[in-house]
Amino acid sequence: MSLPGLDLTQATEEREFVPAPPTQISLSKGSEWRFEVAFGTTVRVKLLAGNAELFGTELAPSQTYTFSGTKAAIYTWHGCTLEISAGDRVSAIEGFAPGGSTMTANGTPTTTTTTTTNTSTTGGRGFGAGGCQSEYVAEETPMVEYANVHFALETLRQEAKATGKDGPRVLIVGPDNAGKSSLGKILTAYATKVGRQPIVVNLDPNEGMLSVPGTLTATAFRTMMDVEEGWGSSPMSGPSAVPVKLPLVYFYPMQNPLEAEGSVFRPIVSRLALSVMGRMAEDEDSRETGIIVDTPGVLGQGKPGSLELINHIVTEFSITTILVLGSERLYSTMLKNYDNKPSSSASAAASDECISVVKLPKSGGCVDRDATFMNGLRESQIRTYFFGNPIPSTASAALSLSASSTTNVTLSPHAQQLDFNSLCLYNYTIPSLEEDEDEYDPAQLDAFLPGDAESTPVKEEGSAPPLPGVTGSPPEKSVTPAPSALANSLLAVTHVSPTSSVAQVRDSSIMGFLYVADVDSEKGKIRVLAPIGGRVPPRAVVWGKHWPGEVVGLVG
Amino acid sequence: MSSGLASDEVAEDYKNSLEDLITNDRFQISNLTVIAKENTEHAMAISRVLENHIRTTPPAQKLPALYVVDSIVKNVGTPYTLFLGRNMYQTFMNAYTLVDSQTRRKLDEMLKTWKEPVPGSLDTRPVFPPDITRSIESALIKARTAALQQQQARGQQEVLGRGRVGTPPGWGNTPTPPQGIPRHPPSMPYSRNGSGHGYQASQGDPRSSSTPQPPQHREVDLAALNRDIEVLITSARADFATNPLDPSVQQRLKALLDLQGILQRQELTQEQLKLVRDQISVLTPKRSTSTPQSYLPNLSNLPNLPAMSATPMAPPAGQPVSQPLQQLLNPGTLAELIKNTAARQQPTPPPQIPNILPQMATNSSIPQPSVTPVPENPLLAALRARGLLPSASAPPAASAVPSANLASAFPLVMPGQVRFTPPVSTPQPSNISNGQLEVQMNTASIKIPRPGLLASLYEAKSNRCGTCGRRFHATEEGKEKKARHLDWHFKTNQRMADAARRAQNRSWYVDERDWIKSREAVDDQNLDTETPNEGATAGDGESAHKGPPKQWIRAPNDATLRNTPCPICQEKFESTWSEDVQDWIWQDAVKVGNRVYHASCYSEVTKDGPTPAQRGTPAGRTGTPDSVLGKRKAAEGVESPGQNARVKTEPM
Repeated sequence: MSLPGLDLTQATEEREFVPAPPTQISLSKGSEWRFEVAFGTTVRVKLLAGNAELFGTELAPSQTYTFSGTKAAIYTWHGCTLEISAGDRVSAIEGFAPGGSTMTANGTPTTTTTTTTNTSTTGGRGFGAGGCQSEYVAEETPMVEYANVHFALETLRQEAKATGKDGPRVLIVGPDNAGKSSLGKILTAYATKVGRQPIVVNLDPNEGMLSVPGTLTATAFRTMMDVEEGWGSSPMSGPSAVPVKLPLVYFYPMQNPLEAEGSVFRPIVSRLALSVMGRMAEDEDSRETGIIVDTPGVLGQGKPGSLELINHIVTEFSITTILVLGSERLYSTMLKNYDNKPSSSASAAASDECISVVKLPKSGGCVDRDATFMNGLRESQIRTYFFGNPIPSTASAALSLSASSTTNVTLSPHAQQLDFNSLCLYNYTIPSLEEDEDEYDPAQLDAFLPGDAESTPVKEEGSAPPLPGVTGSPPEKSVTPAPSALANSLLAVTHVSPTSSVAQVRDSSIMGFLYVADVDSEKGKIRVLAPIGGRVPPRAVVWGKHWPGEVVGLVG
Repeated sequence: MSSGLASDEVAEDYKNSLEDLITNDRFQISNLTVIAKENTEHAMAISRVLENHIRTTPPAQKLPALYVVDSIVKNVGTPYTLFLGRNMYQTFMNAYTLVDSQTRRKLDEMLKTWKEPVPGSLDTRPVFPPDITRSIESALIKARTAALQQQQARGQQEVLGRGRVGTPPGWGNTPTPPQGIPRHPPSMPYSRNGSGHGYQASQGDPRSSSTPQPPQHREVDLAALNRDIEVLITSARADFATNPLDPSVQQRLKALLDLQGILQRQELTQEQLKLVRDQISVLTPKRSTSTPQSYLPNLSNLPNLPAMSATPMAPPAGQPVSQPLQQLLNPGTLAELIKNTAARQQPTPPPQIPNILPQMATNSSIPQPSVTPVPENPLLAALRARGLLPSASAPPAASAVPSANLASAFPLVMPGQVRFTPPVSTPQPSNISNGQLEVQMNTASIKIPRPGLLASLYEAKSNRCGTCGRRFHATEEGKEKKARHLDWHFKTNQRMADAARRAQNRSWYVDERDWIKSREAVDDQNLDTETPNEGATAGDGESAHKGPPKQWIRAPNDATLRNTPCPICQEKFESTWSEDVQDWIWQDAVKVGNRVYHASCYSEVTKDGPTPAQRGTPAGRTGTPDSVLGKRKAAEGVESPGQNARVKTEPM
C-alpha cells in the first residue's frame, strides 16, 4: 500500500537499508559539491577535513549531516574532504518523491566533473555517491560574487552603524530556479556569522520559510541556520538542537502573487513591511543589519503586473540594493527603473540614499525543480509543521536524521472534533481559480475578495457563494453544511477576532494552521489536527483552499 | 533517574576523596573515575571540583589530580569532556607552570594522548576536541620559542633547558647583586600576557607618577595591604637600625618603601594588587617573626593610611619561615601568584618575553643613586619581571634623586617610567576586519575576488564549535562566548533527552506586536534569560521545582508514576492542561527527590512554607530511608504528634 504518506511509520524505515561503502570526495579550493537527494532516501555527509559550507552555513567537522529531498551544494573556500554515505531509506513517500520509484532513470551524474559513481543501487536510490540522484563537483561557482555582495553589505552596515542610518535593505529578484533563496541563505548565513542580525523576508508563497507554503514571513536571524533543514525551525514546546527562529507569519493562500492583480498580495506585503519597520525601529541589531527580501520567481519573469508588484515591494521596504539573478532582461529593467534613484526611506532625501542595482550570475548548480519536487517540498513542509521531522523525508528541503538523532524532533499534534458552526471561516474566492466566474468583478479587487453578494470587499461570512465562512457572528448565521471540500486542506488561524472586518482578516498575521482531516457534512462536524492541544483559539480562520491546497493522508 | 543526591553533596564528597589523593595511586584514581561515572548527572559539579582541586592543590599533587581528569575523560567521556574541556586550557597551563620538569614531561605525554582517540574505542574522535589541545599546545610551543628567543637575544651562554619552558632562564648580564637574583620564573610567557591587560590601558602613556588613579582599583584591600607593608617596613627599619651597614637590609627596606610608594600612587591594576598582596602576605609572617624588635619607625614621613581592620592574610602553607627574600620570589611561588591573572588570559600568549628581559637587564645594570649601591632591588625586579610593576626601562628621574634619605627613595622607580607594552597579537575582536571594508555595491566591484576579506568569515574566528561549526574569536571574550555556547549545547541536549519522553508541539506563531518586541535569543548568552518556559520546567530527572507562587510539575508520562499517589495524603494527582506550558501538568505538586508530593501537603508537613527548594524531605515518614539523603533533621524537627496523625504510611 503506497498511498502517498499513508504508511509513514518508523517500522519500515530500515527495511531496505543496505549500507553502501562511504565515498570520499576531495574538493579543491573554491569548488563545490552539488548533489540531489530524492524524497524518500537520505544521504549522509561528513566533513572530514578542511572547511566547508552549505549555502553559507558552515559544516562542523566530523559531524554527520543527513539530507533528504534536497538539491543543494557544499562549497569550500579552503578545500575540504567530505565523506558521503547512504543513509536509511525512508519509506513510502514515493508519491511525492520526484521520480519516486522510477528515479533511477535520472540517477546518473550529469556533468563530466563527477568524481565518483557509486554502485549501490538499492531501492530507489540514484547512482551517485551515497545514493544521490545526482552529484558532481563543480569548479565554477559564483561564490566570489556572492561573498563580495556580503562584503559590500557589510560596508554599508558599518556605515549604518557609524552614522545611525538604517542598514541596507536588499531585494533579491530573478526568475524561478535562479538560486534566489540560496543566495538569501548565503547572505543571511554570512551576516549571522559575523554577528549581525538580518531580518529575512520571504515573499514567495511557493515555498515557506520556517512555515508552510502559502505564507509570507519575516524573521530576524541571529543564530546559525540549520544545515540540514535550510532555514531552521519555528518554535516548539521543546528544545531544538539548532536554535529555533521566530517568524512573523502572514497567510497568502495562493500560489501566484499576481493573482487578482496583486490585490491580495499587495496589502499583505504592506502590512508585513510595516511590522518589519517597526522591528527595525526598536531593535538596534536589526536596524544596523538591514533586511533581505526574497521574492517569488514569477515576479522575475516579465509577467504583466510583476513590475508594479516589484515596485510596491521596493517602496514598502525602502529597498536600497536590488540583486538581480540570472536575467539580463530583468536586470536592464531594474537598472533603468531604480539604479541611482533615491530609496523610498523617509531619510533618503536627507542622506541621499540611493538604490543600487547589481547583476549577479546564476549558479551553474541551479536546477529546475519540477512540479513533482515542488509538490514533495510542499507536502513535507506541511508535514513538518505538524509532526516535526520524525523521519527525514518529511521535512523541508533538507532533512535531518542525524546519527545522534539529536535533531530529530517528533511533534504530536492534537486531533479534535470541531463544530463547523463554531468556526468563523473566511475564504478567498479568486475568479481565476474558481470554476464559477460569475462573481468576478475587477473593480472590487482592492478589497479582500469577492464572494459577497453585494460584491464589495468580501468576507465570506456564511454567505451563500462558493464557500461558506460560517461565522458565529450575527449577520447571517446560515448553517451551511460543512463543505466536504474542506477535507485535507489547511486552515490558517489568524490573530484577529471573528468579528473583524474582511480587511483585518486579510491583513492579520496568523497563529498557525489546522489541518482538516475529516468532514461530516451531515452533522456539521469537522475533525481537525491542531499543532497544540487545548481549545482552538476563537479567531477568524482563513481557508487555504487553493494553496497550499490538499495534502492527502497527513493523518492516517 | 538521579540518586536524589544534591549536586553539592556529591561535589563535597568528591572533593574530600580528591584531597586524599596524594600520590599517583592507580586504585584511588580508578575509584574516583568510577564515582564520576556513576554521577554523570552531577558532572558539572564534579568537574568544577576537579578544576578547583587542581588549581589549589600543592604542585606535587597536581599530577595525580590531572590523572583523574585523564582517566575520567577517557573512561567516561561526555559530559565530562565538555565540562572539563571548557577550562582545560587554564587548568592545564596553571598546573604546568607550577610543576617541575619531570612532571611536565608527564603532562606533555598526557596531552599527547588527548589528541588521539581513546585507545580501543570505536570513536575516532580525539579525547578532547582538537581546538582545546591545540590551544594548550600552541601556548607551550610559544613559551618554548619565547624562552629560546630571549636567550638568543641576550647572547647568553648559559645553557637553558632547550625547548623546556620549565627551566628558568638565568639572570645573565646583571652584575650580581648582593642578594642574588630572582630567577626568571618559568611561567613568564603565560603571565606576561595576562598582566598585559593592565598595561594596555596605559600603553605608551608616559603618565606622571602622581596621576591619581580612579578608585576602582581598591577592591583588593588596599588598607590592609598598606598596613602589612608598613609592618614590614617597620621591621625592616628595625633591622636597618641595628645593622645599618648590611646592604641586604638596606636593600630590603628600600624595596619595601618603593613598593609602598607604588601602592600609594595606585598605579596598579586589580590583578597586580592581588599579586602584590599575596607576596606581602608571604613576607609578613616571616618578617614579624624573625624581627621581634619593637623599634618604632618614624612613620610621620610616610603617608598615613587609615589602617582599617582587615582580616590578616594567611601565609601560604609550606612557606619556610626563614626563607631569604629572593627565594620567596621563586618561580613556583610567583607562578602560583600569577595564576589568577593567567587564568583570564587569551588562549595564545604572544611571545613577548624577549622584550621584557632586555629591559630588566637595563634596569639592573643602572646603579641607583640612593643610599645603597644596589643596582636594583630583587623585589622590585621580580615584580617587574612578572609585569607586576611597570618596568622602568630608564629611570632617569629616579637616578637624579640624590637623596640619602630613606623615605625619599620612594619615587625611585616611578618617575619617567616607560611602561612595558606587550605586543598585542590578538586578532581584532570587533566585527570582522573593520575599517578596511570598502566594497562597492555595484556589478563591477563585486566581480573582483577578495580573498583577504574572507578571513572575516573564517580565520578571524578561529575557535570553532565542534558540534555545530559556529565560530568564535580566539579572544577572551570569544572563549567566554564559546563556553556559554557549549553550555547551551549541553543543556539543550539534556533537555532534548528529557523532552523525548513527553509529547512536544509546534507553538503558535506570535503576533505582530510580540514579534516586534521580541529579541532573538542567543545561545552564547546566559541561559537563564532565554526560554523562560523551559526554565520553569522541572524535567523528570531534576529535583525540586522551585517556582513560587504556584507550584506545578509536568505530569509524568510513565503510567506507574502517574498513578502513584501523594505519599502524604494518598490522593492521586490530577492532570490538567496548561496553556502556558502547553503540556499536561499537575497543579499543586512538587517533586522532592524522587517523590512527588502535593505542594500543600508537603509544606504543611515540613512546616516551612512553600519552599521545597531546600532539598529536604519529610523523611522519616516515607519509610524508604534511601529516598533522599541529608537534611533529614529539619524535617524531623517539625514532626509533632498532631501532624503525625495526618501522615499515612508510604505504600511502597
